[in-house]
Amino acid sequence: MDGVIKIEVPGRPPLAAFNLDGTFYVTDDTCTHGEASLSEGVIEDGLIECPFHQGCFEIATGRPAAAPCTVPIRAYRPVIERDLLHIEDDGA
Amino acid sequence: MIATVRLADGSVAFPCAAGDNLLHAGLRAGIGLPYECSVGSCGTCKYELLDGRVETLWAEAPGLGERDRRKGRRLACQSRPLTDCTINLRPGAAYVLPVPAARQRVAFLASEPVTHDMREFRFRAAAPARFVPGQYALLELPGVGARRAYSMCNLANAEGDWHFHIRAVPGGRASRILFGPLDERTEVVLDGPFGLAYLREGPRDIVCVAGGSGLSPMVAIARGFAAGKGHPARRLHFFFGGRTPADICGESLLAVLPGYGERLTYHAAVSDPEAARAAGWPGPTGFVHTLVEAALAPNLARFEFYFAGPPPMAEAMQRMLVANSVPSAQVHFDRFF
Ligand SMILES: Cc1cc2nc3c(=O)[nH]c(=O)nc-3n(C[C@H](O)[C@H](O)[C@H](O)COP(=O)(O)OP(=O)(O)OC[C@H]3O[C@@H](n4cnc5c(N)ncnc54)[C@H](O)[C@@H]3O)c2cc1C
Ligand code: FES
Ligand code: FES
Repeated sequence: MDGVIKIEVPGRPPLAAFNLDGTFYVTDDTCTHGEASLSEGVIEDGLIECPFHQGCFEIATGRPAAAPCTVPIRAYRPVIERDLLHIEDDGA
Repeated sequence: MIATVRLADGSVAFPCAAGDNLLHAGLRAGIGLPYECSVGSCGTCKYELLDGRVETLWAEAPGLGERDRRKGRRLACQSRPLTDCTINLRPGAAYVLPVPAARQRVAFLASEPVTHDMREFRFRAAAPARFVPGQYALLELPGVGARRAYSMCNLANAEGDWHFHIRAVPGGRASRILFGPLDERTEVVLDGPFGLAYLREGPRDIVCVAGGSGLSPMVAIARGFAAGKGHPARRLHFFFGGRTPADICGESLLAVLPGYGERLTYHAAVSDPEAARAAGWPGPTGFVHTLVEAALAPNLARFEFYFAGPPPMAEAMQRMLVANSVPSAQVHFDRFF
């Protein structure tokens, strides 16, 4: 089963945390094409499809995978420790 | 025949006149149907046809991917209703036209050179020309088979004048007609204005970035800025990027505007270092987005950004602005497909 939730973190743009068949991924939640929340989109074949104009990103890498999206979203490397999901953010 | 088009959520219905496409009919009716390019390339106007039949104008349009086609999605700008239709998409207030758009005959008046491969074309319509600086119109030229988008370089006027800076694309179908040269008797139809990358009032200083043929709408924004009643301390930074020194242009158009050299400044970069060296180019070399970043850093988020040009240039600008945390609400651009 695949799923996604939105994570609000104070002081930074929201994140989207994905569970793709037991593997966790974290990306930015805001689409680079507009102000859409990707966690409200549809997951299919490792892609997240934006709810606004059906552009897609590769969940594992953040690469744009369908028009109108052309700019990647940031993908973070998550680590699970004691049931907590951690990500590294270099602040860039 | 006038078809009635309904949105699946039942929120609105609009009429679509014979020959018009779903996108432009909806926009004309005051509805914010999502779009950018109007010509099948950006993919923003995707929708699902739930009921009715449409004719597809350009079946291979790059705005749809293989996945979209598999899911039965279509492009509103490439769909002409054949019957009443029900469609599924999500309108947004940002897409509502700032001034009404109409299709009308225009007469070709004259053209004059801007660079070795760019000319300014002037057309006149019977009705006053109403548009916002930065917008584009669609031109129907005989024998081209599809409409082409061109951005106006002048300002709205009572005379009905529509001016465009257009680059000759080698082998291009519209280019061949326009640079033929264009005959005064040629029948030209103009539809517009459309486009979202138009000048907004606001407190921030403005940055305009033009790549090649992106000159036209950026000159319009600079002209609108110079003519406007905006705050006297507001500034505009104009950047032009060309491949060789012979492609560099625009400075003479800005130099005649009030405030030039003070509130309004011009910078240019040449991207081909060989060509720069060969011609003794005294200015910066490199891609124009790197010049913009270097000239304005740090804190690019204090500006309102407008840019236009070939898709790779627009994408480089977008990436650079995202990396500099510029909110997307401050970024307005057209990709010249
Ligand atoms: C929003 C926008 C604004 C623009 N503004 C300007 C401007 O101010 N100045 C300027 O010089 N250029 C501008 N352009 C580019 C311009 O519209 C043309 O793409 C360019 O002039 C080349 O056209 P061509 O017919 O000569 O070349 P061609 O190579 O013949 O055609 C180029 C374009 O036509 C479209 N096309 C190809 N086949 C089909 C088909 N079967 N049906 C429908 N469309 C098809 C494609 O989008 C392709 O990119 C703009 C483009 C856009 C999207
Ligand atoms: S906002 Fe995400 S595809 Fe347009
Ligand atoms: S507006 Fe239809 S594909 Fe760009």
